[in-house]
Amino acid sequence: MQRKKRTEILINGAREIPARLAEQIYERYEVNTIEQPNNGLVMTKLRETAKKSLFYLGEVFITECKVQINNVIGLGIVKGHEPELAYQLAVIDAAYRAELKETASWSEVLIAEEEAIRRKRTLRQSKILQTKVNFETMDDGE
Amino acid sequence: MGYVAVKGGTQAIEESIQRLKYERVKKGKVMEVDSIVCGMRGLIDQVMSESSLYSETLAAIAIKQAEGNPEEAVFLMRAYRSTLPRKHYSRTVLSDDMRVERRISASFKDIPGGQILGATTDFIHRLIDFDLMDETEEDAKQWLHAFECQVEEEGPDKTDLNKLPKVLDYLRAEGLISECQEDDEEPEDVTRTSLNFPASRSERLQVLTRGQTGAVTAFAYAVIRGYGQLHPTVGELRIGDLPVCIDNPIGDSDPDDAYYIGEIKVTEVEMLIPVTIEKEHGRKEIEFDIGYGICYGQNETKAIAMGILDNSLNTDHPEFPSQDQEFVLFHIDSVEATGFVSHLKMPHYVTFQSKLDSVRKTRRNRNEEREGENR
Repeated sequence: MQRKKRTEILINGAREIPARLAEQIYERYEVNTIEQPNNGLVMTKLRETAKKSLFYLGEVFITECKVQINNVIGLGIVKGHEPELAYQLAVIDAAYRAELKETASWSEVLIAEEEAIRRKRTLRQSKILQTKVNFETMDDGE
Repeated sequence: MGYVAVKGGTQAIEESIQRLKYERVKKGKVMEVDSIVCGMRGLIDQVMSESSLYSETLAAIAIKQAEGNPEEAVFLMRAYRSTLPRKHYSRTVLSDDMRVERRISASFKDIPGGQILGATTDFIHRLIDFDLMDETEEDAKQWLHAFECQVEEEGPDKTDLNKLPKVLDYLRAEGLISECQEDDEEPEDVTRTSLNFPASRSERLQVLTRGQTGAVTAFAYAVIRGYGQLHPTVGELRIGDLPVCIDNPIGDSDPDDAYYIGEIKVTEVEMLIPVTIEKEHGRKEIEFDIGYGICYGQNETKAIAMGILDNSLNTDHPEFPSQDQEFVLFHIDSVEATGFVSHLKMPHYVTFQSKLDSVRKTRRNRNEEREGENR
């Protein structure tokens, strides 16, 4: 599973999933923390739709962490102050980069969680769509 | 006359700071940060937008410390932001990727995907709800349960709110607004370099989106009241979450290899402004210009006002102050405007004494002249 999809599921899904996956790694391997979870900023670059040019919308407060497993570096980065999650994301990232055997079984877990997220979003969407306007043309009185 | 440093007042200042805390806690109750996050969405969105820093929790702490005063909360956020390292730039965020929760058009009744009202104050009567005096958390939970139970499975409307077509695309396809190519010029950053005029489009949009809500709204109101030549209509207003990703720092820029970091809620507006274009042989045609507005959170008035000002400032020959880049962009920043105005209450003993001396001297000279005439 590619990184973007993986990180999206890990961040938006149930918190116990990144916790569980990271635990499988730090219980069996030596994990060196290169950069403790710390706060910083990501500047958001946006393409506006009037002239299709680029500009900076503003910064997002994030937590970032870097770890090393078997000489391979993993990065965890997430919006907000989330030191535990940033660490778990970094461990999972390093595990994937180092191609540890544990990662082979993770796809199944992540795909199941992706489906749970999709279901939740579909229900939310259905509820929002109840606010869609159903226009009726008014009678002109004749 | 230069500035003269003075000492004194340390004890009074320390006691004044204690007194400020006293004012915040004197009734023996404190607001929990979590309560501010849960119940002050509008203020949090405004503070995040004006401070140009997206974090509901930080905004809530700043609001608590500032006792609900937005200008002070924005100041706190900007000050804290200046202590943090900028670790990454995001991949280009596209509003086409928005997970929409509200989307309307004032220009077209029938838009592809429909008019989706979402959560809005547009249709409430603005009558104070006195029941809120006695609202409990239990009441809120019960209401929430009933509200969420109304939808337990997918409804009949299968509109995909992640892929709503843009009203502008519809107009571009009809040739009613001019087609334009993507402009990939790297944006300038007003937080890194000082603003010079004429400002680039990227600088203008950045200053407008972090502008003080009241100031941006007031200038836009002036434009449409007569200090400008705009007759704008909301082409499309949408609110929703935009995913933010960064490139893999130790890889290439493959979008699938990027790190997803979370989502930010924004309000985006495209304003349609009719303009007369002179074609060949003096033939005149009406086309539409677009004004673009976007800001953090749900702040529709600010986004609409930004769209109006974006278009108003897009002229080389300003006729009104509201079309003058320096007049607008230098005066809408919350920290700069409130900072400069409020600094007037800080000690100006020396400069004021100097002015007083001048007044006395002028009067003395005049009195001497009068006495000379009377002799």
